[in-house]
Amino acid sequence: MKRIFSIIPAIFMIFGLVACNSGNHQENKGFVPKLDKSTVSKINIVGSYSNFEALEAEFDRFNEYYPNVEMSYTKIDDYNNLITTVLDGNDAPNIFFSFSWMTGNSAYDGVFAHMENLADASLGLDLDCIRPGLLNRDSQGRVLTVPIFSTSYGMLINNDLFEKEGLKVPATMQELLDVCASFREKGYASPMMGYSVNSSGSLMNTVAYPIFAETLAEHPEMVVLANQCDPAAGEYMRPALETLSLLINSGCINLGECSEISDNYTEVIMRFFEGDVPMMICTGDTVSGTKKRESQSTAFTENPFNYTFAPIPTTDKGGYFLDSPSVQFSVNNSCENLDMTNEFMRFLISRTELNQMASVKRLITPSKDLSFDKVYAPIGNVASDLVISPTTLGIEDTLAVQIRLASYKVGTGSMTIDEAVEKYGSLE
Amino acid sequence: MKRTGIIIINVLIMVAILAFVVVYTVFENSITRKRQTEHFENTTVTIERVTENYLEGEQRICDVWARYINSRKMSMEEAAAFIRISHVLQNASAHLIYLDSKNGLSTRPHLGTADNYEISYDKIDFLNDTSWISDIGESINISRAYTNPMNGEQSLAFCNKIMLYDSGEDTAKEALLLRVLPIAELEQKWIFPQEEFENVELTMIDSDGDYIIKGKTFKNSNFFEFYKSYNPSDPALVGRLQAEFTSSTGSFMILNSKGEKTLIAYTPVAETVGWTLLSLIPAADLNVNTENWLLIGVIFAGLLILFIIDLLFFRHLNKKLRIAATEAESANKAKTDFLSTMSHDIRTPMNAIIGLTAIAQKNLGDTEATGENLRKISLASNHLLTLINDILDISKVESGKLNFTPVTFSLAETVENLVNLSQPMVKEKNLDFNFRINRIKKEYLYADQLRLNQIYINILSNAVKYTEPGGSVSVDIREEESPISGCVRLIYQVSDTGIGMSPEFMKRMYQPFLRQTDSRVNSIQGTGLGLAITKRMVDLMGGTIDCQSEQGKGTTFTVVINIPVSDRQRDEMHLDPIDVLVVDDDEVLLQTAADTLESLGAAAECAKSGVEAIEMISKRHQENRNYDIVILDWKMPDMNGIETARRIRSTIDEKIPILLISAYDRSEIEEAAKTVGANGFVSKPLFRSTLYDKINQLLGKERKSTESEDDYSDLKGVHVLVAEDNDINWEVIQATLSMFGITADRAENGRVCVDIIKKAEKGRYTLIFMDVQMPEMNGLDATRAIRKLENPFAASIPIIAMTADAFSENVAECLNAGMDGHIAKPVDIKLVIKEIRRIKERENIK
Repeated sequence: MKRIFSIIPAIFMIFGLVACNSGNHQENKGFVPKLDKSTVSKINIVGSYSNFEALEAEFDRFNEYYPNVEMSYTKIDDYNNLITTVLDGNDAPNIFFSFSWMTGNSAYDGVFAHMENLADASLGLDLDCIRPGLLNRDSQGRVLTVPIFSTSYGMLINNDLFEKEGLKVPATMQELLDVCASFREKGYASPMMGYSVNSSGSLMNTVAYPIFAETLAEHPEMVVLANQCDPAAGEYMRPALETLSLLINSGCINLGECSEISDNYTEVIMRFFEGDVPMMICTGDTVSGTKKRESQSTAFTENPFNYTFAPIPTTDKGGYFLDSPSVQFSVNNSCENLDMTNEFMRFLISRTELNQMASVKRLITPSKDLSFDKVYAPIGNVASDLVISPTTLGIEDTLAVQIRLASYKVGTGSMTIDEAVEKYGSLE
Repeated sequence: MKRTGIIIINVLIMVAILAFVVVYTVFENSITRKRQTEHFENTTVTIERVTENYLEGEQRICDVWARYINSRKMSMEEAAAFIRISHVLQNASAHLIYLDSKNGLSTRPHLGTADNYEISYDKIDFLNDTSWISDIGESINISRAYTNPMNGEQSLAFCNKIMLYDSGEDTAKEALLLRVLPIAELEQKWIFPQEEFENVELTMIDSDGDYIIKGKTFKNSNFFEFYKSYNPSDPALVGRLQAEFTSSTGSFMILNSKGEKTLIAYTPVAETVGWTLLSLIPAADLNVNTENWLLIGVIFAGLLILFIIDLLFFRHLNKKLRIAATEAESANKAKTDFLSTMSHDIRTPMNAIIGLTAIAQKNLGDTEATGENLRKISLASNHLLTLINDILDISKVESGKLNFTPVTFSLAETVENLVNLSQPMVKEKNLDFNFRINRIKKEYLYADQLRLNQIYINILSNAVKYTEPGGSVSVDIREEESPISGCVRLIYQVSDTGIGMSPEFMKRMYQPFLRQTDSRVNSIQGTGLGLAITKRMVDLMGGTIDCQSEQGKGTTFTVVINIPVSDRQRDEMHLDPIDVLVVDDDEVLLQTAADTLESLGAAAECAKSGVEAIEMISKRHQENRNYDIVILDWKMPDMNGIETARRIRSTIDEKIPILLISAYDRSEIEEAAKTVGANGFVSKPLFRSTLYDKINQLLGKERKSTESEDDYSDLKGVHVLVAEDNDINWEVIQATLSMFGITADRAENGRVCVDIIKKAEKGRYTLIFMDVQMPEMNGLDATRAIRKLENPFAASIPIIAMTADAFSENVAECLNAGMDGHIAKPVDIKLVIKEIRRIKERENIK
């Protein structure tokens, strides 16, 4: 009888504990809500992504603190052209995507006018969790755009293929040339591949841009001229264009093979998942699509392999890690529910949430902690003197367009290096 | 079945009941859910109808515009101007777009401008392929949700292909007419009509699954991508879903981004190109019967409590059953022991009777030996009789057939009887015996005298029986006021210095067949029924019996009974104003006697010893104020009553009347009393009536010598009729009566008895002793017949029952039949003589 009387309460206790545990949330322990948790509110975020599941997951997490805040993400058609109109219209969002290239472009003055200063101490955002090179402060010290993801230029590496062929992943330019030669000897027509059909997102730009940025970093006085499309800055493209030409001419990159890749995102990924490409040149934005497409690739599903993303080793010391913001968030300072919007930003801008989003999206986190994603692990190992921040350098979109066009033309052979250097500023 | 088995069965039954409740609840829930799902699907279809009507209406407007434009060969500007005139809704606009350039005009200016109507759809992909746009009026041609380039609002466009002309030219250019409405417009009309579905979200997707309008729970930009992201699926399943969406109405369960179950109802939107309306509701909202789990919990708790209570109850019951079984076993054993004892106890006196009878028969010539044998036979017979009476009594008590027959009786006689009965053993064991009465005002009471005697005798005989030789036994009877009107509370207390009882035995002492066992009393004979009978009788009389006892020290029994006072009391008793000296060493008796005498009107003085008495008498004598009567206790220290009387007679007064208080048995002092000149005896305890009678008797017959009770001369000439069918019994009674000079005639049965008495002359018989159970006519009928005789002598002749029917109801039956008294067989000759004398006295009075 005693046993029965002791078992019954024990059962109830176990049930109670289970019931209590089931109600527990994995809350962000660092986040303490400032506003009334029962506040009823709506927050709309607009951007250029078709899907933003990583952000939608954050909505769910934020709703654990503020269950009555209705959150939505809307893709804006022709975002770059319409964002100004959208911000002025009846459907003006609370938060919107902003990009580095908007900086300095007068067409976006209206957009910048809508931006809340997120460095305002009263908002309480933990901007220190973001790598300093990614954070753009204007002349007044304001932070109008906060990076949510960062991106870089580099290549996807099929580590299993290297291992299979008994080759070592290259760490220097020479090793890269050697390993490409070895692959070619083993029958790989193009050891390095990438998108080459159009200049936008082309492998040529991916190879050349980091080197051009590094050259400008050594001559910061040229950045302004380069931004202003001054032909004098053209000469600084030469190292980048020469390296690109070397890789193509030495057979590391077979453009004929690359031309079969029809777009710079899905096709690049699916081709890489075929498993016979040792190195796929692409940006971090492309890498973000790999996670979802693993299951969509029959070849990868049948023969999965280990892969990582690393800078292309274009120097004797290794490759440059061009640490660029990918997507940035700005708060519409004239939106409805501005308090709750800033509260959401306070929630989002934390190492935990940024890493969480980057993990879901498989983009490079803007936080200082790069170790959480094994695909991007090699980036975390890049020596600090090889890390270049276009934001810090002050590189603007005009400069980026010129190197993109120049590298593409040189890469495809439609222009010599000298011609490209000479025509800097007028390339179209 | 063992306890574990019962527990297992109980648990299994509980589990079975719970399982049934759960299954039933789940079944009921599933039916409710199914019904709700159908209801949800039907409501979704209703919403689709509303949506379709709305879309159709908007499309019709677009169709009208398109037809008009096409019929008028309008340029883009003319068409725009026409539509501007036709606009009704403030938030609606129209876009005219050339198919080739994707550029055109809007009917409303660009946001922030007053006259900029130019618009480009170059970067908006849904116009890249326009094959989905049917001819005018054929279907609803509606775009996906997109950003209106003119105002940045998320909008829908109803489309038609039109032909536009450049001004002044006949060449037509293909263009599109887009009637553009903000999605908010449609969302406002999308209110789910059922209150119970307040958490419903509506979404519209195109044939590829891309959202046209998107609810907040729907993630991704494509429903199927959303589905695949959070639900395990295979491409074939997604393909089937896609096909079903565009062809039928139905519902299915999916997990949302939080892993929660949600129900999605789908129905195709008619007149569109593969659009589907989806409505989503959390599955939890459909489980309206969640309180059933509370019900299950309550049932479970109830069963558990019931189970525990049952378990405790059965444990308690089992314990009681075990105790009852033990008691029954004990009772059974006691009965077996009792039977064994009875067998032994009956056989023992029987053995003595049979053996002694055989010895007497062989020694008929030896008168002394035969006499001794007969005395022992008599003792054995009496014991046997007691045994049989007890067995019969307990049998009647236990069967609940014991009835009381109240009669008026004298408490004095009862006490006298008690004293007489106890004296033989008191003397035999040389016990110090004291019997006191106190404040007895009502001597005549109305109760079942026989049973009251039995109670008192049982307790007293036990005290005597269990007190070792040399010990003491004292009896106190006192009267108190009763709370019951017309009654007195009679308290009967017997204390002894006997062996006492153990506490364990006291707990069970009223159970039948039990006897206190003690090495000192093993030889004590008894049935073990006395206390059981006594207790039950006291209970039946509404009284209480209390016992205080200590092993080795003695026992005190106290019986308290409220007894009705008889209507018949002695006439007012008053003595002449005489002076009485009472002499006793017992102060209680002195006080009681003094009180009693004073209540009778006498002046009483007390002396505690013979010496003191002599001094007081002497003093009075010198003063010539002699006491009228001196009452002397026999047993006193220093100087007893006999010696005191002798000294009074010899030294003071030869004539002063002296009464000796006899200590229960006067036989041993009778002779000495006569010698010293005592005038009479008065027995303890000193009842009021006893004192009154004796004093009056003494004062009326001064110096009358003591009269022996063995003088039966008054019985000479008494002639009785005995109705007795049994020859031996007739012989016994005739012989016994003859010993007292009484002659008898016999009637063999009731009929003969009636005949004899009918014919008898007046005064022939003093009385009739009537047996009850006789052939031909029994004693009762015979009595009734006699009472009905015409002959007055015969009809009024005293009839005394003399029968083996000894119970009180038998006595009552006899009295009711008209008899005057009852003597139980075997006959106690003393009772017979007493009865004859009583009748004679009565007749003399008449």
